[in-house]
This record gives sequence, structure tokens and C-alpha cells, in this order.
Amino acid sequence: MLTLANIKKSFRQPDGQVTPILDVPEYEVVAGEQAVLVGASGGGKTTLLHIIAGITQPDSGTVRIENIEITRFRESTRDRIRADRIGYVFQTFNLLPAFSALENVILGMTFSSGRSSPARARKMLERVGLGHRMSSRPNTMSVGEQQRVAVARALVNSPRLLLADEPTANVDPANQQNVINLIRETCREENIALIMVTHATEVSDQFDRVDRLESVNRIMARQGVGT
Amino acid sequence: MSIWKIAWRSIQYRGLGSILTVLSMSLGVMMIIAVLTVDGVLNESFRNNSSFGYNLLLGARGGGLQLTLNSVYYLSQPIETIPYEYYLVFAKKEQRAREFRNSIAWNALERQRQATREISTRQALPMAGGIAGLMQGMASEMLEQHQRAFMDIDRPHIFAGYTDYAIPILLGDYYELPKPPGQEDSGQAGKSFRVCGTNSDFFSKLVLNYESQEKISFAEGRAFELDDPEAGFFGCVLGATVARESKAKLGDKLVVTHGVPGESSHLHENQPFTVVGIMDKTGTPHDRVVFVNMEGFFMFSDHVKPVGDESFLANRSKTDIDRTDQPTPIAIDERELFRQPIPVEQRELTSILLATVNDDGYDLAGTALQPLLEQGDLERTLKWSSFRPVRSQTSVQAVNPIGEITQLFTLIDPAKWLLLGLTVMICMVSGLSILVGIYNSMSQRHHEIAVMRALGANRSKIMRIVLGESVLLSVASGLFGWIAAHVLNWVLTPMIESQTGVTLGFWKMAPGIPILSYLPGNSLLPPYFLQWIVSPELLLIPGLVLLAVMVGIYPAISAYRTDVSRSLGK
Repeated sequence: MLTLANIKKSFRQPDGQVTPILDVPEYEVVAGEQAVLVGASGGGKTTLLHIIAGITQPDSGTVRIENIEITRFRESTRDRIRADRIGYVFQTFNLLPAFSALENVILGMTFSSGRSSPARARKMLERVGLGHRMSSRPNTMSVGEQQRVAVARALVNSPRLLLADEPTANVDPANQQNVINLIRETCREENIALIMVTHATEVSDQFDRVDRLESVNRIMARQGVGT
Repeated sequence: MSIWKIAWRSIQYRGLGSILTVLSMSLGVMMIIAVLTVDGVLNESFRNNSSFGYNLLLGARGGGLQLTLNSVYYLSQPIETIPYEYYLVFAKKEQRAREFRNSIAWNALERQRQATREISTRQALPMAGGIAGLMQGMASEMLEQHQRAFMDIDRPHIFAGYTDYAIPILLGDYYELPKPPGQEDSGQAGKSFRVCGTNSDFFSKLVLNYESQEKISFAEGRAFELDDPEAGFFGCVLGATVARESKAKLGDKLVVTHGVPGESSHLHENQPFTVVGIMDKTGTPHDRVVFVNMEGFFMFSDHVKPVGDESFLANRSKTDIDRTDQPTPIAIDERELFRQPIPVEQRELTSILLATVNDDGYDLAGTALQPLLEQGDLERTLKWSSFRPVRSQTSVQAVNPIGEITQLFTLIDPAKWLLLGLTVMICMVSGLSILVGIYNSMSQRHHEIAVMRALGANRSKIMRIVLGESVLLSVASGLFGWIAAHVLNWVLTPMIESQTGVTLGFWKMAPGIPILSYLPGNSLLPPYFLQWIVSPELLLIPGLVLLAVMVGIYPAISAYRTDVSRSLGK
């Protein structure tokens, strides 16, 4: 489903020095698989997710999603592939404050190839238990509710791959498990591959497949950074 | 979700800032439309109404523009007068002969001939005196022949050949509306309308619009006649606005004021004019005028020109129409004396509307006549007149009213363009406020843009969303400004209509212009496109969209360049 090969990425520092961030010889997730990627902050987890999502281009290497090598496409094509096949849940939810909960979910469908379906957006919100908050603005919702809207938005397009970047980092412990359950159950039901980045062991312990960043990223291995 | 809805939500989110931006730009748009409307009103009340059926205006020598404003638009202060004989120069032979018989000169001749006849009759009885009587009779006939020849009474004047029709105009009096209850003694002048003395030719011959050949029509009643069976010499016709505002009906009596109300004026109380007709609305300055029979108008003592020989009026002076001890009003039947028109020599006119004959639209007669009149040929060719002192002078001017108005607009147009330039600059400044508003919000919106990018929005879509926001703000400003300006027009319609005769209303737009003819390099366009007339108001929205794109492009490019990875981390 997802295959990464020889991904390398480095950033140029303000002083001109080039700092390598990622060196991933290979990484693979099959359809419907749920993997968790754990590692310390600053280890390149988010950069890796951005490369998988096509937001950032690697310096070298290939990313294949459902056998489509997205790294060889130009940016606008990668944008469309991301809109159609990849869902993204952010650590800080990133709901747009000008839009209601329902509109935030519809926004997730707006940029994909298919037509926006408000009915499906409503269904997704009902599924995450927010059928009664559809017209609410994000700033009137609790943190847990906001993260559920973010999950609904990421899943509304029926993506083939869901990338979740520390989705429970800003959620209170009481809601943390609800969010994890929601994401995992939905992915399981719709056969969506899931890569969740976290540094919370109580989250990673629930997954069958746990990938440590230093085992995936050679840079981390070389630096000897552990979690 | 369309990009318009996304843009609209962003506008909503920046509530107060968006409202202030729209407000400032709406005011700019409103001012542009106000300038265009003022220009439209001026155009309609002057330029468009100058498409009348006459092409020359004769009046006392002086400013041609003042004569035009006075006689065509009933504006400006009254001007000097010209002798009535000048009008007869352009009259047909029959009318000249009829009116000459109502002159002091002709009546003096008649009295002389009568006296001669009486003498010859008395002297013819005795046979001895027969020869002397016969000679007296022959002398009388010769006298008449001489007088007819001197007055040029038996043939049309040379200028009559140039003339299609001529209409006399007398101005200087006003009709003041009754003051509202409680303000009768305020000492302030009430609303007043111009009074125009003329004859029935004004209604039967005057063409309001040369192209359509439209003439005056009546909503009620009819035109007055020279000696009206209903009103005698004192019939009047009301313009549509006068009728509406005065609520006067057929048969009502109107008292006119000599001079501008409130400025040493006095009422012609003893002899009111009877309303015999109410004109249909013409959309011209005529709507604001009371047209009275000039025969009655001449009879007021302050309208009668004094002449050396007052013998003809000896009996009239005993019962002057303006005498204040007369019962008011005096029935026309009881005033048989006033069924006798004022003699020609004692009549004066403000101006003459002159339509020259034309040949298939070519106004050769007018072109030939105007220089002759300007050179004083009219005064020199008059065969008779009691106004000998001015005969050798050039006391009359002949102006082309359309030319005068065109010249007026050459003065007004630069001011209009200056105002338009200023208002366009106001819109540009408002446009910059859109730029500043959107650009200031960009720091916050980089994060939102990054989220949308992460959701799959490509750069061009993000750019279109930002431009869409700018366009929505501009179009909303344009619409609000347009509506506000037209509501203002609608509210001011009664006032503008009563002042200028131009009806605005809510939907009335600024007059169209051949917009493509202003473009540089327009010679490359087919002639059809150059004649394409469009109201400048209709160009406002496309213009604002263009402005929106111009001011929105910079924030849009900034949005386009948003670094998603970096912005998502914020």
C-alpha cells in the first residue's frame, strides 16, 4: 500500500550548514495495516509524514502509494493524490475557525476529485458522536470534540492511508482513549492503512506494529537517539 | 464547497474589518455614481433637451448663453427685451397683415382716412365741392397706399422665406404657489414657477424632440386660443409639474406675480388667468412653467411699452387693468375694452424661437440666416417701426441654442472629469484598504492556508480563494454603493424633478457613452463596436473586479508561496 525506498531529506540551516534529517532505506505499510511510529521530538517524524503525504519532496528516494510513485509527480498532482487518497489528523487539530464543524468536514472533501457530499459529512460527524454539534464553531467546542471533528474530516474522503501526527497530544487523558479507539475502529472498518506518530507509550502499546524511529531512520540510528 | 463560500467565510470571520472595508469602498462607489448622476441630470436637462425643433433663438444682444438659459431652460435672470415687430418679420403674410391692423400707426392712418372721408362726404353734397371732395378721397387712397407700402404690409418679409415657424416668448413673471397654512405671513417667498407668455403656436408647432417630432400633448383640456371663448385673453396652460404641485384644475384662476417673488414684486391680482389646459409630462423644463396667453400678458400696465403717441390708449388708461381700486376679479364680459389687443408698437418680447426651413435635414436656411441677423440685417430691413433709434443698430442676436449648450459643457466637462478622477482615487484608496486588510490577516491565515494545502488544496486554488475574497469585498462594495446612490437618487427625485424637470427614480442610470471609442487604438475596432453605447455605471462592477484582482494579487501570491511544512508547525 505504502512503500518508501531510500528516502533522504536534509535542511539547510540559517548559517548555511546542511543538516540531514531523514535517511529511510525502506519502509512499508500494507493495506489496512495499523502501525505506530514512536520517537523523540525532533527526530523527523513529522517530516516523514509530510514526505509520505507529498507535502514535502524528499531530496532523493521514492514514495509509492498504491503503486503510484508520487515523488515523480509535480506538486499539483501530489496535492490531488493527497486529497483523494490520504487523510491527515494533526496534533493541534487545525480546524478552521471561520467554518462550522460540518463545514470543516466538508472542506476535507472540497479539494478531492469527487464531489462534496454534505450527507456523507453529516454521517461522519454522527459517527464520531457529534451529530448535535454540526453547526458549532470550533471555538465553542471542547478539545475532545475538536479532535473528533478533525478525525471526521480526515476520514470523510474514504482515504486509503491515514496519517495521524500525535493526535492525542493535546487531548485530556479522559478523551485520549476515545480518540485512539475512534481512529483505529474507523480505519479497521474501512480497511484504511494507519500510520500514527506518537511518543506516548500508553498509545503505542495498543498497536501490534510499533516502529521505532531510530530503526527506520538511519540518521537517528547514527546519532544514537533513542526514545 | 466552492472557493466563493470559503472566501465568504473568511470575510465573515474578519467581521468588523470586512464591514469597514466595504463601507469605505461603498462610499467611493456612491460618490462616483453621484458624479455620474449629476452629469446625467445636466445632460438630460440641457444637452438632451436641446434636441428641439427650432434651431435659432433671437433675443436682445448680450450673452448668448444667458439668452439660451432664459428662454430654453427658464433659468437665470430675465434679460432685455426686443420689439414685437421683429417677430412679425418672420410671420406669414396673413398674420402680418392681421397684426399690422392692430398697430398705432395703422389706426392713426385709419382715423386720418375716416376724417378725410367725412370731409369728402360733407363737401361732396354741394356740387361745387365735389371736385375737392374727390381729390380728398384720392389723397386718402394714396395715403393708404403709401402707408401700406411703407409698412411693407402686402408681401411677406424677406426673412419669412427662411422660416418654418416662429414662436414669441415673454418672460419675467412668476406664479407663486400658495404658502402652507401657518406660513402665510412669514414674509418669505413660497415656491414659484416661471410664467411664459406665448401664443397658441407654442402648442401646435413647437417640436419637443427633433428626431421623434414629438409635440406637446395635453393630459387635460387644450391649448388657449388667441381670443379664447372660455378665458378671453387670459387663458393659461400648466406644465405637468406645476399642475401636480399646485393641484390646480381646469377652470381654476391663477394670479401671477410681476417680477421675482419676494424681490419688489407685485401681484397682478385684478386679472387672474384661467386654466384651460394641463400638459402631459414632457421631461423637459416646460413641465415647470405656466404658459399664459401673451395677449393677456401684454395688458398688464408694467408690460406695456410706453410710446410717443398715447392717443390710441387714451380711453384705456381710465380703466387700467392693474388699478387696485377695481373689483377683483373683473369678468371678461364686463371688460370689453380689454378685448382689444395691445397695439404692436407697445409689445415687447423676451425672445423668439425660430425654426428655419430645412431641406432633408440640411439646415441651409439657418446657416444663412444667422450671420444676416447677427450683422443687423433684421433691423436694417424693417420697413416700419416706432423704434427708429434702434433700427440702425444691431440690437438683436441670433444664437444656436445647441451650440451655446455645447459650449457650456466644454466648461463643465473638465470639472466633471476632475470630480470623477477624485472619486476614482477614493475607490483606489478603498481598494488599497482591501489589500491592507487581507494582507494583515495573512500572518494568521498562513496557518489556515497550510491546513487547506494539507487537505489537498493546490496553490492555484489557494490563490483563487484569496482573490475571490478580494473580488467579493469589491463587488459587495460596488453593490452597496450602487444601491445607496440609487436610493439617494430616489429620495431626491421630487426635488431634482421640480428644479430641473428631470425624473431620476431608483432605476435610472447614468446616460450611456460609446465606451470603446475612448480606448487607445480604437481605430482597429470595427465601427459597430465604436458605436456601442453603455452606461458607465455598468462598467463599475467589472472595474471593481479588476481593481480587486489588482489589490488581491499580492496577498494571493503570498498565499501561493505559503510554506506548508513550516506553517503547519506553527
